[in-house]
Amino acid sequence: MTALLKLEGVVAGYGRGDILRGIDLELEEATITCLVGPNGAGKSTVLKTLSGLLRPREGTIVLAGEEISRCSPAELLARGIVHVAQERSLFPLMTVWDNLLMGGHILRERPLVRKRAEAIAERFDLVRDRRDERAGALSGGQQKLVEIARALMLEPRLILMDEPTMGLDPKARHLMFEMVAQLNEEGRTVLLVEQNARAGLAIAHHGAVLDNGCVALTGPGKSLLDDPRVAELYLGGAPAAA
Amino acid sequence: MHQVIQAIILGVLVGGIYALMASGLTLVFGIMKVINVAQGALVILAAYLSYALFSHVHIDPFVSILIVTPAMFVLGVAVQLVFVRSLRGPDGSELSLLVTWALALGIEGVLSVIFKTTYRVTSPSYADSSWSVFGYRISEVRLFAFVASAVLLVLLSLLLTRTRFGRAVRATVQNPTAATLLGVDANRVQTLSFGLGVSMAAAAGAVYGVIYPFNPGSHYDLISRLLSIVVLGGLGSLGGAVFASLGMGVIEAIVAVEISPVWASFSFFVVLLAFLLVRPQGIFGVRERVL
Repeated sequence: MTALLKLEGVVAGYGRGDILRGIDLELEEATITCLVGPNGAGKSTVLKTLSGLLRPREGTIVLAGEEISRCSPAELLARGIVHVAQERSLFPLMTVWDNLLMGGHILRERPLVRKRAEAIAERFDLVRDRRDERAGALSGGQQKLVEIARALMLEPRLILMDEPTMGLDPKARHLMFEMVAQLNEEGRTVLLVEQNARAGLAIAHHGAVLDNGCVALTGPGKSLLDDPRVAELYLGGAPAAA
Repeated sequence: MHQVIQAIILGVLVGGIYALMASGLTLVFGIMKVINVAQGALVILAAYLSYALFSHVHIDPFVSILIVTPAMFVLGVAVQLVFVRSLRGPDGSELSLLVTWALALGIEGVLSVIFKTTYRVTSPSYADSSWSVFGYRISEVRLFAFVASAVLLVLLSLLLTRTRFGRAVRATVQNPTAATLLGVDANRVQTLSFGLGVSMAAAAGAVYGVIYPFNPGSHYDLISRLLSIVVLGGLGSLGGAVFASLGMGVIEAIVAVEISPVWASFSFFVVLLAFLLVRPQGIFGVRERVL
């Protein structure tokens, strides 16, 4: 397998403080990688750095052989990196359809944006059925689904998903994990930050444990699930049953 | 009853012009959380520009909108880049009040030097003409001013709802971080929107100068009204600003004919305070909830 994305010695943070203190990480093409770790370890900061919301102070980020450390969010979108943020990120007063069109904001060709939006509406019943409703009227799970649908407008190669199941009921959580797996089956690379580390690692090909701004452990998702150190620190006790 | 209907007609016509002025103010607040208290001074600056074009080059004040508006759009972009863009962080909104107030005083000072403090009015040949419709007098300039304002507000609304730029503006208002993650250049949106807000003030200023006498200090009264309008309409709401402007125009006009012109301006503030007691977020404002 080839590495789609490579982070080397990435240092980043807010204000004068560093949250990431030298992250080294590789993502293989068409795989799911799950980042786990305690609160404040820097999981969301990794995603923000990869989507251009934060500029790394040191280190390099390479996407398919191209250095992208200094790229703006728009330039990263053009290279196929989309970020589905942790917080609700729909525009609540805009319709579901307008939210979808915003997903193609960087595309200049209007017909192409419409064509992709129509294709996504065909795939997502929710978008098709409620396209003219205000996005703010949807439930939390529905909003997250529209956020993912919107992210697909650019036909991304790498999707950064920050705690997509946060605040969802069990049924919606299950559907969300199915969606993540489905996106991966289509050949997309997914970097997943998940509060439910056990569930996240279970669907991931690879896992990485972040601690205090550094990668403390990496390995196949399932082997991390079985690792007693991970279990002790982040999974609340005994390793998961196979 | 005839007097009241006449007052309502007058109030709607005047309210339309205030709506144009307030639209720029509320647009800029919605996007940047900047309260541009120089909006009144910018209206007066545009009134002077239109007056100068009429006096020296004989350009009709309504035609001058086509010159004054783009010129002041450029001015607005420059002001945003030089003075406003750097006002970020938690104190940005408060600092913007001081900076834009300084801008207002600067504009007033420059106008006082050039034009002195004598009241001026732009007086085209049709300034005193009016039509009689079913026995009601309709001033030509006020109707033209209302129509011009309505056309510009419709164009602004179409820009915001039907274009890629407009969608980016609305997205930035509702969730700036999410908009950035979708590739919206928030800096560019803010700069262009500030320019747009100033150009709305410019268009309104050109027609204001035909209806009301003005001098460099006229912006004090204007900005107090405009702030009241955008607060009543709901900060950041374009529809609210239009609704509140028309309401203000009608209330003032009715009080002027039914009670006394002295109480006209005050009456609107009474309505504003009473309304805010019941609905602090204004007519179309959204109440923020802290989770």
